[in-house]
Amino acid sequence: MESSYLIGSIIVATLATYATRIIPFLLFRTREPSPLIKYIELNMPLMIMVILVFYAMKDVKWESYPYGMAELIGLSVAIVLHVRFKNALLSIFIATLSYMILIQNVF
Amino acid sequence: MNFFALVKLTIPVMMGYIPLGMAFGLLLSKLLIPWYYALFMSMFIFAGSGQFLALTLFASQATILEIGIATFLLNLRHTFYGLSMISTFKAFSWKKHYLIFGLTDETFALLKTSEVPEENREKAYLLITFLNQCYWIVGSVVGAILGNIVPFNYEGIEFSLTALFVVLSIELYKKNRLHKPFFVALIIGLFGMVLFPPQKMLILSLCLAAFVLIVFKGSMERGK
Repeated sequence: MESSYLIGSIIVATLATYATRIIPFLLFRTREPSPLIKYIELNMPLMIMVILVFYAMKDVKWESYPYGMAELIGLSVAIVLHVRFKNALLSIFIATLSYMILIQNVF
Repeated sequence: MNFFALVKLTIPVMMGYIPLGMAFGLLLSKLLIPWYYALFMSMFIFAGSGQFLALTLFASQATILEIGIATFLLNLRHTFYGLSMISTFKAFSWKKHYLIFGLTDETFALLKTSEVPEENREKAYLLITFLNQCYWIVGSVVGAILGNIVPFNYEGIEFSLTALFVVLSIELYKKNRLHKPFFVALIIGLFGMVLFPPQKMLILSLCLAAFVLIVFKGSMERGK
């Protein structure tokens, strides 16, 4: 990968990230946010997170062996552990470990 | 609050940021990117999922414009955090720009839950944000360097990101007053994963989600 591509990308990603964090301070220095903006900001994070789960699995080959079984098992482990124990680190750690064991040794 | 009390407050974030930062560094080294880019990214971008996304986009050779748009859309949720910090940060000096820069999910959660007396607030907030960024930098640099040295099969470690998204989805589902957006996003995500071209999947799905959210505001808010 070329360093100009990496550096350019890092600068753009830095500005884009900072923009998302400073926008509310610039926009609402004096006035109150509109109800529509509040509604989007309240509900968009949940939608983004769910879509990211699917995004993370966009390259899984569902039609051929092992039919995404490692991903489905890893997801199930994360969901069950998190609903049951509500400990983010535990859920992420065990789910990742199960997934790594599965793809390295089973499938 | 004294120094040690504040350090103690950040321990949960340290326990998350160091392994996750390491996972980020390892993934970066697997893409054969030199380790110091992990340092730069964690110093300047400082966004967990944003940096993972950048790596994914590097791997699929996305254009710089696409990286900018995708990062912006992904981190748009941070706008919500800023909104609830406006009144708190207003009283602070120019140093608040570091706080705004460092407003990650975890830092936001700590700042919101820490009970610092008003007169020490600015200093305490700066220390919390700085410590969190240090954990993240240390994790990512160690991961990027060890990834090349320690002979260990890291295949599949990127699943920690998928698991993180699953965990945050559950957390946000529980917190959200409305539950319909969750089910709509499930449908859009599945639809997008199957039908959209992989490289454009995220942007298209997010735009579709925002569109549905706005156009069907009335029915989203009806019932639960």
